[in-house]
Formats: sequence, structure tokens, C-alpha cells
Amino acid sequence: MSQLVCKNLKKSYGDKTVIENLNLTLESGKIYGLIGRNGAGKTTLLSMLSNHAPSSGGEITLDGERVWENPKVLSRICFARELNPNNENGLGSYSVKAYLRAAEAFLPHWDAEMAKRLLETFRLEEKTKLSKLSKGMLSMVTIIVALASKAEFTFLDEPVAGLDVVARDQFYRLLLEEYTESGRTFVISTHIIEEAADLMEEVIILNGGKILLQENTQSLLDRAVYVTGLASEVKEAVAGTTVCHIENMGRSKAAVVLLEEGRELKSGFDVTVQPMTLEKLFIALCREV
Amino acid sequence: MQQQFSDSVSIYLQISRMIETDILRGILLEEERVPSTNELAKIYTINPATAAKGINLLVEEGILYKKRGIGMFVAQGAVRQIRSKRKQEFYSVQLKGLLAEAKSLGITREELIAEIEKEGNEL
Repeated sequence: MSQLVCKNLKKSYGDKTVIENLNLTLESGKIYGLIGRNGAGKTTLLSMLSNHAPSSGGEITLDGERVWENPKVLSRICFARELNPNNENGLGSYSVKAYLRAAEAFLPHWDAEMAKRLLETFRLEEKTKLSKLSKGMLSMVTIIVALASKAEFTFLDEPVAGLDVVARDQFYRLLLEEYTESGRTFVISTHIIEEAADLMEEVIILNGGKILLQENTQSLLDRAVYVTGLASEVKEAVAGTTVCHIENMGRSKAAVVLLEEGRELKSGFDVTVQPMTLEKLFIALCREV
Repeated sequence: MQQQFSDSVSIYLQISRMIETDILRGILLEEERVPSTNELAKIYTINPATAAKGINLLVEEGILYKKRGIGMFVAQGAVRQIRSKRKQEFYSVQLKGLLAEAKSLGITREELIAEIEKEGNEL
């Protein structure tokens, strides 16, 4: 089993620190979901993991070998970043075909046939200039690069941004198909958490440049509960547990609780205990107090 | 396998329950192969590890069994087993819930029995 490991990773721009002492291990053969608010550091993290940006400190290794400027290691990694043809030098004047050809030149395991098939699936014209593509269509190009790269570790930065709901569903299916057939590792950042929650074996929550949590998605959801009732009853029911968020409304109280694995909430209180979705839990964990 | 997920129960529990329901309904027969974790993952667009967790619950209970190299199969006697499990669950979960709600509404024992007699003609 391969491992991509970050140790004490740091990134700062001038005196602004974006990522701070970040430790993370990604194991091969899993789909990871990377979620975090705007500016949490998701893109920065993925850029550093793939040698697209230098770190300001710390170390990133794949199976013990440093990632930075190491062609041997980088041949196993693909970062399909969000395309922004208006900002980048001349990218807008590239046709879809030229862009994919450029990707092919950098990605040694490129599957040209798959790229062609996906162009048809998404009904993209090869000769269209990137500057003429809508946000959703640009995401499709990103998805094609990611899947056709056949890289062992593939990172997708907001692959479903701008995609309509049918195209998103299409992407999730394509991803699962590729994953079940190849066992490649995927890290996917997304803001449409609920749709992707069931795809992620593990979820990584990034908040303010730090990893708030990394856990098997199902185990996390199994221990997250939403407890409501008369304030005094809720208070006693949740005593001694990890309470992530509390809201009071008149005589009633709502608490978001992360139980220890295998534990249940104390019984004997007149409270309503409900399961939580990943999205609701994420909001509870990352909202400004 | 065409039922839909709800938000209120873990996905892997729902997967195992859907398979059980399909077995009860004769959609999946005893000694027949059930969809693989990869097939389930694609049908429901869920992670294969989650599908495997649901399947494994049924293997632990002896409702499914593994044929090496071929896949998962519905065990002999699975229908009977699922029915008896659901029956126990009915008494321990639904009935208890019903009684708790009746109690909180101040419904008396006699009232409840009378209602059951009235509604339960089909039983």
C-alpha cells in the first residue's frame, strides 16, 4: 500500500499564514473528500501535494520519497485544478484539444482513448476555445484530465462546480466506475457536500488552514447526533460528551454531539435524538461563533 | 435494488435492509447471487467500502454467505430468518414506540386495545 504523507506542512504568503503545521496521511485505494469553507486552504493544500506550489515548511513524501521536483514521484500524481482561462496567460486561447494534448505531455499514464470517450460523454467539441466554455464545461475538461490521467493519486479541485445536477450525477458514476475498476486514489474537494458524502470513504475537514478532522465518513456520521428538547433535559443528556454546537431557543435547546465510537447517548431523558447529515455536521463544526 | 435512501439511517444499514426486503419480496431468491459491492456502489453511487459494510452485516447474521471467487449468495432459510428478525424488531422497536406515544398522549390500555381490535380486522 502506498502512502502520501505530509508532515508539519506550512504555507504562507508574506506574513499571511494559509496552512499551519498540517499533518496528513493519504492511503492508496481510497476516495477522500476534502471539505472546507472558502479560503480554508483546500486548493493550496492540493497544489503543494502535487508540486504545483512550493511549501513554506514541512515535508511531503510519497512512499518515503520527497514529492518536490521529483519526476519519478510526480508521474504518480495528477492535480486537475479548476480552470480559469480569464486569469491565466493565454489559456483562454487554447482549444479543448490543445489543452488535453498539453495535459497528455505532462501525464505519463495518459489514456487518450478514455479522454476521447469522455469528450463524447460530455458532448464537448474539441475545437472550442477554453475562453468560450461555460463554468460547467470547464469543469468537464478538468474531470476529463483527472480521469484520463490514470495517475495513482488524483486530486480534483471542485470538479462539480458549475455542473448541472445531471452532469454531476454523471461525474459521480464515472468516478465510481473508474475507482472500482482501477483502485486509484482520489481526493475530491467540493462544496456540494451532501451529494458526494456517500462517495467518500474518508472525509477530511479543513478549517482555517488546519485539519479539523479526518475520519471514515460512515463512522463519523454514526457518532454525530442532534439532540433537542427542554434545555435542562438536553443539558443532562449531553453532559460528558463532546458538544460541537449549541443553540438555545426559549426553553428549548439543540446540541450537536460527537459521541465516542461505539457509545450511545445516556438514556432516560426526554429528548429527541436525530442523526445528522455530513453537511449539517460540517456547518456545526465550521460556523463562526 | 430500486428503493431509495433516506437521510435518517446510515447508508450501510439501509443497504442491508434493502437487500433483506428484496429477499422477502422474492426479488432475490435463496441460493441466488446478490449484487457485488462494486455493483451496489455503482447502482447507488456510494463508496464500495460502504456497500461492503452493509453486505458484511448480512454475512455476519448468516443471511448471505460468500462463495469464494464467485460472490455473495442468499443463504438457505434467509426468508424465514429475516421474517423472524423483523418480527422481533416490530415488538422491540415499533410496538415500544407506539406504546410510548400512546402513554404520552394519555391513551388508556382499554382504548388502545379497542382501537387495535377495530383496525386489526385483517390480522
